[in-house]
Amino acid sequence: MLLTFKGRPVLPGNVTGVAVVSHGGFNTYASFFASIHEPSDEAICADRGNADLCGRDLAGKVICVPSTTGSTSGGAVWQRLIEIGNAPRAMLFSKAIDSLAAGGLIVADLWAGRRIVVVDRLGDAFLEAVVHGDAITIGEDGGVVIRRHGDEGQGEV
Amino acid sequence: MAPDAAFAANIRLTPEEEDVIAGGEGPVLQKVMRTVVQYGEALGAERLVDISGDGHLVIAYAIPGVAPPLEMLEELVAAGLRTKFPFTLDPRPPLDYDNWALDAQQVAVLDGMYRDQARYEDLLLQLGARDADAYTCRPFLEEVGNIPKRGDILAWSESACVVYANSVLGARTNRNGAIMDLLCNIAGKVPLSGLIDDGARRATWRIDVKTADLPLPQLLGAAIGRRVLADVPLVTGLDRFLNADLDAPTGDYLSEMGTACATAGAVGLFHVEGITPEAVAQGMDVLAADHRTYVIDEGVLADLAASYPVLWRDGDARPEKCYLGCPHISIAQIDWWARSISAALRERRQARIKVPTTLCAAPQTLARLRAAGSAVRDLEAAGVMLSAGCPMQLFDNDLAAGSAIITNSTKLRTYTNARFFPDRRIVEILVGGEI
Repeated sequence: MLLTFKGRPVLPGNVTGVAVVSHGGFNTYASFFASIHEPSDEAICADRGNADLCGRDLAGKVICVPSTTGSTSGGAVWQRLIEIGNAPRAMLFSKAIDSLAAGGLIVADLWAGRRIVVVDRLGDAFLEAVVHGDAITIGEDGGVVIRRHGDEGQGEV
Repeated sequence: MAPDAAFAANIRLTPEEEDVIAGGEGPVLQKVMRTVVQYGEALGAERLVDISGDGHLVIAYAIPGVAPPLEMLEELVAAGLRTKFPFTLDPRPPLDYDNWALDAQQVAVLDGMYRDQARYEDLLLQLGARDADAYTCRPFLEEVGNIPKRGDILAWSESACVVYANSVLGARTNRNGAIMDLLCNIAGKVPLSGLIDDGARRATWRIDVKTADLPLPQLLGAAIGRRVLADVPLVTGLDRFLNADLDAPTGDYLSEMGTACATAGAVGLFHVEGITPEAVAQGMDVLAADHRTYVIDEGVLADLAASYPVLWRDGDARPEKCYLGCPHISIAQIDWWARSISAALRERRQARIKVPTTLCAAPQTLARLRAAGSAVRDLEAAGVMLSAGCPMQLFDNDLAAGSAIITNSTKLRTYTNARFFPDRRIVEILVGGEI
């Protein structure tokens, strides 16, 4: 099965990755506070308030969320994750990006030197369709393709 | 990464902004301005507007990954940049160890976590921090003096301060994240979007408070935040209890309520019928025609308090510590604690409280209190420790996770394992030593 969506490229790029999905707001600081201390290749979500993601490894993933909910102290987190090697590959927002996510991700992009691809305004239907483990291909134009692993006719992505 | 030469902004820029973006003021300010412009584009702003007042920044502590990288601050300082207006910051970490009853292991961990603190604070002073004591989450208290004027355009970050500046003072600021707050204040610009703009300041919720008495602000704020999330509420029914002239007790109440709203939801602006400036000026017109309504009575607040899980390792433990003053509290609020604790101790013919307790307030508030004498004397005699720090920072490294800590703060309860109790119940627990 192939599903395609079109959003607005906030920090454009061509990347592929595996989806992790939160249906509630994503708290950047609560999710990553345990993953910013030491260089690592994993970033286990520590947000007890997020049943969808708590305990899942977010490093290198495509994180699919409606928007972020805080906190204002989470701005430096993205930059730090890039620096120590466990940042997600992309952030996909179903809604318009909120000021906290936009601020943190744009600062990280311009000041930490490695891009986390960001697409917003993908719509509620995107978040209803995508599930953990989906293979995601993101295009520079904000196009997002979901390939469900194991579907007939689809090989490894 | 240096900005690529091909960057073309979609946002409408002034000639002055164009010049900075083109590198006319040097490469570092170019990168700062480009960051702010891209921020504006992401938020859908058509242009930037000038900041007109002092800043307030959220990160006062130098934990790597939470604070801006020191190398980035050094780059800004080396380029000779500083904010257009001075700024205050959130409270310092709890490095005044004597006031927190910490054990040796906790002190060692904190020493490690905050090893860059002095260097960080020095860089912030060079970048525009108002002075070496500019650290509190109640910057708008009279004795601290970062009091925005109505209509001021700001780039603040700490959510408890953003919501107060917007709602009670009638200034305009979005909830800007850490680092972007500093960069906007250096550029002297913010995107014309969100709460800066008139459109987003109308209430889309009516919160009708129907309690018989003035509700506990920390609980009322949590109930509002949970329901409206990031929307703007108009709160009706509070003008039965609060003074319309925004006196100090009303300010204290709305600071506690607003902090809880901002934590339990993501509220950046509320209106209170008959009290806050935009509600007074616009009357019920501040409410959007298609608003929703939520009624809060005693039952709603009792259910909310009962829904909070106990996150202590041992749910039946005796309380080990108590943290008060999140957000920082005023002289009048500290007086209330001094009087209430002293009276409860007298009643039990007891000299000191049984739970180590730290009460947090701005450095300027504590200095004024110490000069005045009696409340500080009473509190210290009762065994209460006073600090200008922030209890939240004790939890950043799981130092206190699972410990039997009590608080009257919705914010501390939300972000940590601390257990919430109303103020009067806290007094009983401190004096009796058990729940």
